[in-house]
Amino acid sequence: MFASAKAWLGPGVAAAARPSPAGSLTRGGASIALEDVSLQLGMEKEETEVLRGASLHVAAGEFVCLLGPSGSGKSTILNLVAGLTRPSSGRVLRWGAPVAGPGPDRALVFQDAALFPWLTLEANVEFPLKLQGLSTAERAGRVEELLRLVHLWSFRGRYPHELSGGMRQRGAIARALATDPAVLLMDEPFAALDAQTREILQGEVERIWSATGKTIVFVTHNVREAVRLADRVVLMGTRPGRILHEETIDLPRPRAAGDPRVAALASGIADRIAGEVEKVAREEADDAWVAPGAARPRDPRLAVGGGR
Amino acid sequence: MGRALLAGVHDRTLVHALRTSVARLAVGYVLALAIGIPLGCALARSRLVEQTVGPIVLGLGSVPSICWLPLAILWFGLSEWAIQLVVVLGAALPIAVATDNAVRHVPPSIERAARTMGARGARLMLTVTLPAALPGILGGAKVGWTFALRSLMAGELLFVSGGLGQLLETGRDLGDTALVVAVIVVIVALGRASEALLFARADRAIARRWGVEGA
Repeated sequence: MFASAKAWLGPGVAAAARPSPAGSLTRGGASIALEDVSLQLGMEKEETEVLRGASLHVAAGEFVCLLGPSGSGKSTILNLVAGLTRPSSGRVLRWGAPVAGPGPDRALVFQDAALFPWLTLEANVEFPLKLQGLSTAERAGRVEELLRLVHLWSFRGRYPHELSGGMRQRGAIARALATDPAVLLMDEPFAALDAQTREILQGEVERIWSATGKTIVFVTHNVREAVRLADRVVLMGTRPGRILHEETIDLPRPRAAGDPRVAALASGIADRIAGEVEKVAREEADDAWVAPGAARPRDPRLAVGGGR
Repeated sequence: MGRALLAGVHDRTLVHALRTSVARLAVGYVLALAIGIPLGCALARSRLVEQTVGPIVLGLGSVPSICWLPLAILWFGLSEWAIQLVVVLGAALPIAVATDNAVRHVPPSIERAARTMGARGARLMLTVTLPAALPGILGGAKVGWTFALRSLMAGELLFVSGGLGQLLETGRDLGDTALVVAVIVVIVALGRASEALLFARADRAIARRWGVEGA
């Protein structure tokens, strides 16, 4: 599997050493940079501040997880980097140049997979290659490599509705990888899956990331998922959406789903964002109800905002 | 009634009338699709079109299409075009409204996925948005077809035209109940046959791709 991943990447990509995250956090070297980015949506009175003053630098080859409750602007950051949304203020940069729109160097994977229902799995993966104008022969070879990478080659003739949620998500990842993007943006890709499937797919993503050296920005509200996958976890808060704090995860890889170190780090981070989660729960309830399970910060120094 | 059917087939009046009506229906329906689908896309995707043409489409859609016949006759005289105007108007508006709806309900992630892959403009519309909206558009196309058939029969009843509608009128003039019923049977058969020939296959193709809930 590892070998086939290398084969379709070509010698250049597989051989390139991943730059160390620490070394490339300088402004010019960051593969992706957000500089004081804000986004307001809606008109005048009904304006909502989706994101306020977010600054973030992602190094090439880095695996960054954006973690936060709903409404914290995590998906907004992905859309900004993808070029689907423009910031109200601030700058979104890719290798130092402003992002002007979507580009084949950045692919997006969605929670609902967003495979095209009228196309077979194979045709779905082929779609971006057609847009790029590859010949039929080139497309066929590439589609086979991609579908084998995600273990779906024998399901190539199926339509998306005939696949399970996990298979659809793997198909979506194959489609996103088709144009060989340097950056993979994943928007809660496993949120709708059952726990077992989610853990298997987390392992898959880690494997594909190690094999391909992609830069991955992964949005999730699942703390343990973030800790298991990320080099760095970016904690986000809500109302308005903003970046609260960053946490570097330097556990050895590959990380097992049940690794107690993952669990320990995760519970620390969960405490940190507990206040934010509670805030959302309170706003979404019609009385003074507070989610009984919402853990309160045990240590005041870990409280939200303490990191700022 | 059976005898009237046989006689109609034998002396070719029924056959001729059926052929005339089907030819009109085909032309009118194709025109209605050609107008209704692009119009629906424009309504769904352009604010300007939505706010200017939108209310007109909805308003005109509530006018039974046969009400256009007097105007059509004033404009085109007692001609083929007068009948076609009624058929096209009757079918194009429901097709446009259904297309508008279907395009609006395409899951946003489908289009966003396509945009990140580099699809834009007309290509995005043709290769992603329209196929994604197909189940809804097909629903509109079916409604459009029945509207076209109804409009055509009404139009043909009201002036001499050589189609099935006129044959109904002839039956009434001659007090020939059997002929009237025979024509109705032919119209029912036409409706069923068009359903089987035009839409059944499309329905199956959509059920195959989208699964049952999408069809």
